[in-house]
Amino acid sequence: MLLAPALQLIWGSLVRDGSPTLANWVDVLTSPRHQREIVGTLLLAGVSASVATLIGTPIALLVGRMPAVRRSGWLALLNVAANIGGIGLGFALVATIGSVGMVTLALRGLGVPWTPPPVDSFEGLVLGFAYTNVPLFVILTLPAFGILRDDWAEAARVSAASRTQYWRRIGLPILAPFLGAGWLLIFTWSIGIYSLAYALAGTGGVQRVSLMTLRIGTTIQSDVFSTWRADVLAVILLAFALVALWSYRLLLRRGARWFR
Amino acid sequence: MSAVWRLARPLVQAGTAAYLLLPILAIVLFSLATRWTSSILPSGYTLDHWTAAFGDPRLVAAFARSIGLALGAAVLDAVLVVPAVYWSRVRNPRIRTVLQVSAAIPFALPYLVIAFGILTLYGGNPITAQLNNTLPELLLAHTAICFPFMYWAVDAAMSAAGIERLAEAAETCGASPAQTIRRVIVPNILPGLVSGGILVFATSFGEFAVVQVLIGGSFETVPLWQADALYSTNPRFDELAASAVATFGLLFVLSAIVVAADRRWAARFRRGGVTAAPPIVETGAAIAESPTQIADSPT
Repeated sequence: MLLAPALQLIWGSLVRDGSPTLANWVDVLTSPRHQREIVGTLLLAGVSASVATLIGTPIALLVGRMPAVRRSGWLALLNVAANIGGIGLGFALVATIGSVGMVTLALRGLGVPWTPPPVDSFEGLVLGFAYTNVPLFVILTLPAFGILRDDWAEAARVSAASRTQYWRRIGLPILAPFLGAGWLLIFTWSIGIYSLAYALAGTGGVQRVSLMTLRIGTTIQSDVFSTWRADVLAVILLAFALVALWSYRLLLRRGARWFR
Repeated sequence: MSAVWRLARPLVQAGTAAYLLLPILAIVLFSLATRWTSSILPSGYTLDHWTAAFGDPRLVAAFARSIGLALGAAVLDAVLVVPAVYWSRVRNPRIRTVLQVSAAIPFALPYLVIAFGILTLYGGNPITAQLNNTLPELLLAHTAICFPFMYWAVDAAMSAAGIERLAEAAETCGASPAQTIRRVIVPNILPGLVSGGILVFATSFGEFAVVQVLIGGSFETVPLWQADALYSTNPRFDELAASAVATFGLLFVLSAIVVAADRRWAARFRRGGVTAAPPIVETGAAIAESPTQIADSPT
């Protein structure tokens, strides 16, 4: 149910009108439209994952050091936020930071002439993806923060290291593989996000952002005669995901030595 | 550094909480607002959108379908996963690799790609093509994509309960494998089974891409209804807000149950209930290896 469809996609991307060919790949890779989609997807996923890492790391650090009760409250909130998704979240974001959203209106009411980025723009999508990605990143990396032993911080302090030095020389290098692994997971995840992108950017008409998932969706639904386009794009997505997950495993293996 | 940190800490916390809570607040207000155009808060409140949304047979039917589909996927996953994990732990450790790889696939592949692959795979053969655009196909697809959530939950539960020893004891008493699973294993891993089932339920309930690609409008689930309410020529934003709040509420209750189940379960092992807890190192590594246990599908 999972492996066979993937093989079928690879096969489908190599066949047109019943005969094997590489023309599908050539056509897709040389078409400026599809190039834009591929670059757009990678860029959006990269920026989203970086945002999630930059914001998520301090939050994970904070949550990891909270007393148990407050911590489980935060975890519940993060868990719910990471679980919310799709059309409902898309609409909630429009109601919050859309052009007549609650925050936009509130800021205008305070006299701040803030015009939010359109939700279907690149910045809008980054903001939207961050809603689930940041909590997801925190939940995924939180266990790793447990490996920072208190003795190390003490040992560093005894050796007259400042907190900045401790973090730069000890804390971050040890956490780096885990943060990198979190980045990769969010990256993989963001590449494949479809329903939230669909809710924010739509599929018809003028699109400000080109994404591979949205193109696959429209191709399947409206362009029945050239589904090979979707085949090729799907295989490219698959390749990205596999490379990202493979590097993820490598990174984790490097980081896991501190568990022993 | 530490002064900056002390100053930044409450700001980071407040900012995060605001960013996570504001959209939820906004959509709750939206579903209750009479008119809301230019002021910070709505000008009046009403329950009309809720009654309109849940008085609409189409949306009620969509909720029934989504719940049925999600329950079906959760039950199927439980029935498939428990014996498989049991077997991989007690009899044939080689299955473990196969299970772990299969559990990684739905996380690596976008659901949209999986759905499209299934569609073209089945369409290529006249016999399986009959399955395309049918409910059984959708149910199987959801069972497949949600399988990792059940697998990780059950695998962790079995490891914590030390089922290898339990199975040995049961067999010494002359129990058959089926009896062992039903009478000994299932009661011992029940909390894990419940959390896994809830995660499967939540994933399947909110899943959009697979439903849209495999079956489309002929089996309208809640996400499909919501997409239609958003993009149809007569958008129904108010009812959409009400349905979204209802969905979020359901998710919230479900994840609260998962957290509570985990806690009770952890407490039981701390008291030294059935078996000793596994060594810390092993659980730590397990978390690092399968960190997606609590994660769900925003796709």
